[in-house]
Amino acid sequence: MSDTQIPADTGKHRRANIESHEATPVAPPPSVTRRLVTNLVPPILAGILVILAYAWVRSGLPPHRQFLMPSGTGIWELAFGIPDFVLELLRRSVTTMAIAVTGLGLSISFGCVMGIVMFRFLFLEKAIFPYLVVLQSVPVLAIVPLIQSALGFGFMPKVLIVALFTFFAVPTTLLLGLKSVDRNILNLFKLQNASWWVTLRKACLPFAGPTLFAGFSISGSLAVIAAITSELFFLSGEGGLGQLLMNAKIDFKYEQMYAALIMASVLSIAVYLFFKWLGNRLFSHWHEASGKQQ
Amino acid sequence: MSADSTSTTAPEGRAAADGASLPGGNAIVFDHVSMTFPDGTEGLSDVNLAIAPGEFVSIVGPSGCGKSTLLKVASGLVTHTGGKVWVDRDQLGYTFQDATLLPWRKVQDNVELLMELRDFPAEERRRIAAEKIELVGLKGFENHYPQRLSGGMKMRVSLARSLALNPAVFMFDEPFGALDEITRERLNDEVIDLFVREGFTGIFVTHSIPEAVYMSSKVVVMSRRPGRIQDIFEVPFAYPRAPEMRYQADFSELCGEISLSLRKAIEG
Ligand SMILES: Nc1ncnc2c1ncn2[C@@H]1O[C@H](COP(=O)(O)OP(=O)(O)OP(=O)(O)O)[C@@H](O)[C@H]1O
Ligand SMILES: [Mg+2]
Repeated sequence: MSDTQIPADTGKHRRANIESHEATPVAPPPSVTRRLVTNLVPPILAGILVILAYAWVRSGLPPHRQFLMPSGTGIWELAFGIPDFVLELLRRSVTTMAIAVTGLGLSISFGCVMGIVMFRFLFLEKAIFPYLVVLQSVPVLAIVPLIQSALGFGFMPKVLIVALFTFFAVPTTLLLGLKSVDRNILNLFKLQNASWWVTLRKACLPFAGPTLFAGFSISGSLAVIAAITSELFFLSGEGGLGQLLMNAKIDFKYEQMYAALIMASVLSIAVYLFFKWLGNRLFSHWHEASGKQQ
Repeated sequence: MSADSTSTTAPEGRAAADGASLPGGNAIVFDHVSMTFPDGTEGLSDVNLAIAPGEFVSIVGPSGCGKSTLLKVASGLVTHTGGKVWVDRDQLGYTFQDATLLPWRKVQDNVELLMELRDFPAEERRRIAAEKIELVGLKGFENHYPQRLSGGMKMRVSLARSLALNPAVFMFDEPFGALDEITRERLNDEVIDLFVREGFTGIFVTHSIPEAVYMSSKVVVMSRRPGRIQDIFEVPFAYPRAPEMRYQADFSELCGEISLSLRKAIEG
């Protein structure tokens, strides 16, 4: 240690501000359990609060309106505890997911092509972009009757509704990402006479990846909601979760309605997490924001 | 293009690739070059400058006077609007103010990038990249992503990337402006080493007069925008240069003269 003398506190106006500062040893990487605790405890606490709030609101309802908020035991006994119902729930989830995934697939493939085309040709960007915004501002539900008249009541009209819900985020985030490539990186490619296509593949697309995946997660979490919404308008035939919601209301089975709602959230979250996971896998080694959140 | 890596010593430089000679046997010639941007901004007006093969020319001038524009015109990144430019762009090196690495590529793959764009075979790419990475002192960092390198290391990767094409003409646009003094001086020495060993023709834009004098065989002072050549100073010191040179009287004297000229340039 040094033997510098710590000066005595001489003046009235000067407070000695000298302390010894201890070093912090290099922190060991957080253990798995610790990571689980920091990542899981807050949402679990929040969830318990929500459940308590639910119970509190429910207890305040007059008895003849308590069916609006079924109890946990009710949801178990009349929905999740019944194997046949669970099977039906799963079957209907598959139906809904088929609509959601097909619609999302359409959005993603057309959206990516459109994003790239707008990036390539400025005049197409100028031509298309305003209408993308217009499309986004059209209330999709308001044109459902039109879609029904045009496409009937099968699978495709529902897929189209999902596509309309989820389209916007794809070409816009892709275009944003493609355009934000560093000017000098483009110059670097230009100096080697790289073609537009090579520049796109080796510079712009990888650069746009993280932004695009943010768009995918937004679209993805909308897709399930959109699929269920679309089903509310198409009640004929063997349907998905949306149809179950309507049936539950008609049959006064609110426990089943809640079960369907829970299932819908689970699916939505699953789609969102899937894209988040995929984005992490693809980009976290070089893109800081895609890295694991602390 | 065969990438023959034999090099002559600096002062002689390398002849133009295909023997087609430029006016006066020069490597780069600006002949009454002017550049007006589409919005009417005059970037350069009537620039005349000839650079011989194997010369290392630094360019200093007031901020915004058109130094970057001069390099962009020479490299063909922008097209000038008047006069004539002669330069063999086939083996051109160019480093920017920042390292402009691709963050998703490891050091090795970043150094291979330009060769990839030139369709070098994979085997050759790997060999040359390894060689240049060693040359800039980054052996052992091949598998690092740029995110994990310091600013000086990134600049070295950027240098290695350009060197891989064995440039005959090498342009530097304020490459070390963002680095601390010590790192900067070390990289100065590395660039001079490379220059002596590889024998390219260099144009080096900088804001630091000592850096310009230390590295160059000629220092060009540009006037305020629209840029033109105001003064050219010959630097009489032989290569390779020793860091102690910076403390010699004649070094300081030359720096002083250039500084005065630059002051005149700024005041107009
Ligand atoms: N694309 C452009 N359109 C219009 N004006 C431009 C453009 N690019 C550069 N300029 C102008 O041309 C002038 C010269 O720019 P340049 O970048 O060559 O300056 P510089 O000497 O490199 O400056 P610095 O030392 O700050 O890097 C500046 O005044 C700038 O505003
Ligand atoms: Mg500049």
